[in-house]
Amino acid sequence: MTIDETIRQQALDWAVRAGDPQFEEWEAFTLWLEADPAHGEAYDAVAAAVADASGLVSGVGAANDDDLAATQTNTARIARRSWIGGALAASLALVGGFTLWQANSRDLYQIEVAPGAARTVALDAGSHIDLAGDTTIQLDRDDPRYARLEKGQALFTIRHDEQRPFRLKVGEDTLVDVGTVFDVRHRGAQLSVAVSEGAVQFNPKDQNQRISPGQILRKNGQDGRITLEAISPEQVGEWHEGRLTFSAASLEQVASDLTSSTGIAFAAAPGSSPGSVSGSLRLDPIRKDPRSLAVLLDLDVRREGDGWIIGER
Amino acid sequence: MTSQPFRSGLESAFLENREKLLNFLRARGAGDAAEDIVQEVWVKISSSRPGPVASPLSYLYRTADLLMIDRYRSRRQAEKRDRDWSDAHSGHPPAEPSAEQRVAAAQEAGMILRMLEGLGPRVATVFRRHRIDGAAQKDIARDLGVSLSTVESDLRGAYRAISEWKETRDEA
Repeated sequence: MTIDETIRQQALDWAVRAGDPQFEEWEAFTLWLEADPAHGEAYDAVAAAVADASGLVSGVGAANDDDLAATQTNTARIARRSWIGGALAASLALVGGFTLWQANSRDLYQIEVAPGAARTVALDAGSHIDLAGDTTIQLDRDDPRYARLEKGQALFTIRHDEQRPFRLKVGEDTLVDVGTVFDVRHRGAQLSVAVSEGAVQFNPKDQNQRISPGQILRKNGQDGRITLEAISPEQVGEWHEGRLTFSAASLEQVASDLTSSTGIAFAAAPGSSPGSVSGSLRLDPIRKDPRSLAVLLDLDVRREGDGWIIGER
Repeated sequence: MTSQPFRSGLESAFLENREKLLNFLRARGAGDAAEDIVQEVWVKISSSRPGPVASPLSYLYRTADLLMIDRYRSRRQAEKRDRDWSDAHSGHPPAEPSAEQRVAAAQEAGMILRMLEGLGPRVATVFRRHRIDGAAQKDIARDLGVSLSTVESDLRGAYRAISEWKETRDEA
């Protein structure tokens, strides 16, 4: 069906004007319609398309935060949102509205990687995630631009798409990529995000902290405080290459990372001081002989049952 | 209260302007159905009793116009169902949309919003305010600090993009 361009322009104009609640010129509109049956057809086509689009758009709601989705989806349709900050809300809703709608209908599945193992999952063309040992992640069957890291560590290589940013949820925190290779570690209550390429926005709705290449954001699990430190970009996700680097790490963290990476049980000796271990090591020798850790990180290593206890010398 | 001793302003306006509405509906392309639709307008206003209306005649025209748009939309949907007949499992569309259809609808909504955003910084906002919140164009112009003609021009752009989207979608 082709519509004459002049008629189409007039139809668009009338659709805009007659659609306004304050429109009064119905007799002039009638005269235009009477002039040519094609006018009414063109007007119908525009008005119906706009009605269809309005129906679809109102169905996705106007809120813009994943976290609000669960509570607000039902009210978004009913509530006529006040116009305070409306321009901002509406522009965020362009991306967020869609995300909001999906949040309630996510078709999630879970991938668990055992300690000592590793796995790579492809998301969409150009995006994949390398999962470290002892890691659990949830992915959406229908939306390759969403993931939820339950625990563990993962190196994200994400093709950037302006229209559909990749969102990663970690506990209550949200990370949004800005074209990116980034590593996320979530063990216990601690969270760290290190970026080697592109950038990541941490909690866009809250702190909105940008993490640039060569930076690592750490969030303290106890008080929620976040700090930003420098990290060598080569070091980001190096576990994937079979290497671990510790910088003023606690023995608990070293033990936990080693256990996840190798599948061998390590534990910290009680009473060790926090932030005492620095150094870089390859995992292969540790897998062969955990005792080699003593030399590599200058630690005391002893066997206890099936596992190994590491302590200060 | 089942009967009222006097007619509402809207009902009086209907009775006085019935011919005008019929003319409008015929011009709108209602043909022989014009009488039926004008009757539908009557049923709508006498059953819903929308309360005091600032401009009763405009309200009647608008009701008639929306009925025509709805008829057009159902006719198009029926045509599309007929075309898709060979793919369908049954002749009756399901009462509740399936999960698949809901996902498709959300994807389309997202696409429309991105399309509108691509038309300029205000367009999606204006569209939402007007079409979803039902705000008058004059009020939107005031809130955004732009002229009424700017709002109209934003909406024309949005409607054009949406019409073109609809055409390509229906051809697909």
